[in-house]
Amino acid sequence: MASVSIRNVRKSYGPVEIIKGVSIDIQDGEFVILVGPSGCGKSTLLRMIAGLEEISGGTVAIDDRVVNDVPPKDRDIAMVFQNYALYPHMTIADNMSFALRLKNTAKSEIAAKVERAAGILGLGPLLGRFPRQLSGGQRQRVAMGRAIVRDPKVFLFDEPLSNLDAKLRVQMRTEIKEMHQRLKTTTVYVTHDQIEAMTMADKIVVMHDGIIEQIGAPLDLYDNPANMFVAGFIGSPAMNFIPGSIGGDGFTTEDGSRLPLGGRVPAASDGRPAVYGVRPEHFRLADEGLAAEVVVVEPTGSETQMVLRPLGVKAGREDRKRELTWVLRERTGARPGEVVRIAPDPALAHLFNPDTGLRL
Amino acid sequence: MSRPLRKLLDKAGMAVCVLLLVSPALLFFLWMLSLSLKFEIDNGAYPPILIPDRFAWKNYTTIFEGNSFLLYFWNSLIVTGAATLFALLVGVPAGYGIARMRAHKSAVVIMIARMTPGLSFLIPLFLLFQWLGLLGTLWPQIIIHLVVTVPIVIWIMIGYFETTPMELEEAAMVDGATRWQIFAKVALPIAKPGIVVAFILSVIFSWNNFVFGIVLASRETRTLPVAVYNMLSFEQVSWGPLAAAALVVTLPVLILTVAAQRQIVAGLTAGAVKGG
Repeated sequence: MASVSIRNVRKSYGPVEIIKGVSIDIQDGEFVILVGPSGCGKSTLLRMIAGLEEISGGTVAIDDRVVNDVPPKDRDIAMVFQNYALYPHMTIADNMSFALRLKNTAKSEIAAKVERAAGILGLGPLLGRFPRQLSGGQRQRVAMGRAIVRDPKVFLFDEPLSNLDAKLRVQMRTEIKEMHQRLKTTTVYVTHDQIEAMTMADKIVVMHDGIIEQIGAPLDLYDNPANMFVAGFIGSPAMNFIPGSIGGDGFTTEDGSRLPLGGRVPAASDGRPAVYGVRPEHFRLADEGLAAEVVVVEPTGSETQMVLRPLGVKAGREDRKRELTWVLRERTGARPGEVVRIAPDPALAHLFNPDTGLRL
Repeated sequence: MSRPLRKLLDKAGMAVCVLLLVSPALLFFLWMLSLSLKFEIDNGAYPPILIPDRFAWKNYTTIFEGNSFLLYFWNSLIVTGAATLFALLVGVPAGYGIARMRAHKSAVVIMIARMTPGLSFLIPLFLLFQWLGLLGTLWPQIIIHLVVTVPIVIWIMIGYFETTPMELEEAAMVDGATRWQIFAKVALPIAKPGIVVAFILSVIFSWNNFVFGIVLASRETRTLPVAVYNMLSFEQVSWGPLAAAALVVTLPVLILTVAAQRQIVAGLTAGAVKGG
């Protein structure tokens, strides 16, 4: 087990800078998830920790030892790849023991370690088979087994669940989390799926365009997003953003509706343009508030999701992003075309600067 | 038109097309077979006879009796075997290196060496072998056959290694393997089908090579294609024994190709990455 310290790390390919100075501190035993849209540099950063990508600037240290120039084989890390990368010509047992055999570990020790890992992951009956004879979920488990057997300082996961179907993904998510709780190995996990990040991580690093937008505990990011990007990225369905301006003790939308601020008006901001952010589950029916037409009703059983178009917003592709999402726990008899009045919970709403995107 | 009839016609049409396409190769073999089993008198018959009344098995026995056919067979085996073995030893790692380092320019240089007419190597090499006193041994032929076999192996292996997933090698790297271990324990076993293809093509090209042999071989060091050519004499062409010899020369390559075909088709990478 080990800590990982990333200091001002940069990566460029020619003139193009992919990662623009990133610093993260990962504590011993922590489960850290790098999350962001594709192309944000999260996988590149993980590969730099693994030693598969050269570091253009800054330092990566594992247990206070700078490893910039240490080849992957000497970093004592294990990595699980998106497509599993199992050696097709080796049995499952050989796949799992490959690293140990390279180190000339004693046969009895290899057998014991493979057996232990197979036990943890329920791979016992599969040890003699070849990867091509396994299902996707089983292959995924073998890839994890290969990492566990090593007993490395750090586990690295590169979008390990994105090739699995939805049901299996949820199951493996739980298994990975359970495995981490059991082994307590420092883990860096890359995903583009914010639900994976929310459910598994001790600490989430939200990346976008090669920079870190925010680092924090899952619920902390959810409740206190630093900017509009994080607010929009974390949480599903995404947060609603309503443009308008601050005035008096409230917020006036562009079409003149008033939204409450609950007394949290930033100083000297009267008349200042702002974006009002409210999560879909933080609306409720109200006598006054936003009047909106129901566009779509999507019941899932446990909750109902509704797409609403505020009155005054025209139907059409351009105004799609001004539509609002409302999630409610109870079932509803609302039908498309009906007009409802909803009000946000002011205590849970956020204000953002429309130019910088930062939270006010 | 009813569907079963239509299906039948589809199949028949397909069969005719296939037959037409492969007929040049097949007919040529059939005629050779026919020639090898006919007596001299039937060879010139008009209209031509495909299946003679009496089979001239003698054609086959004479090639093993009269000439030092077994010696030439042995020579061919040594030259092709050694040239292919060396080519694999050099070409497989070279192909791996070129594929991984994306050294496309050196691949082109090798291609140019392959495209240069073999004869242009022959004269300087002939003088060199003479100077080294190697003429009269099989070494000159083994060495010059490398000009044919090495580029084939390298080019096939480049193509093969470029398609093997990089993640496997990265996984091995993280697992603690050195460059050489990655090559030997991961890349090489996965490339087995590619190596088989390279091996077969190298054997075929080397086995069938004629030009190098005709220049460099002495009476004792002839390979089979040269030996067959020498059966044509000024006085007469004995088609029967010639065709029989040609068939015997082709047979090993034919058998090898048919036997190894399955190996080539069986994709070993199945299951390496997602899917399947």
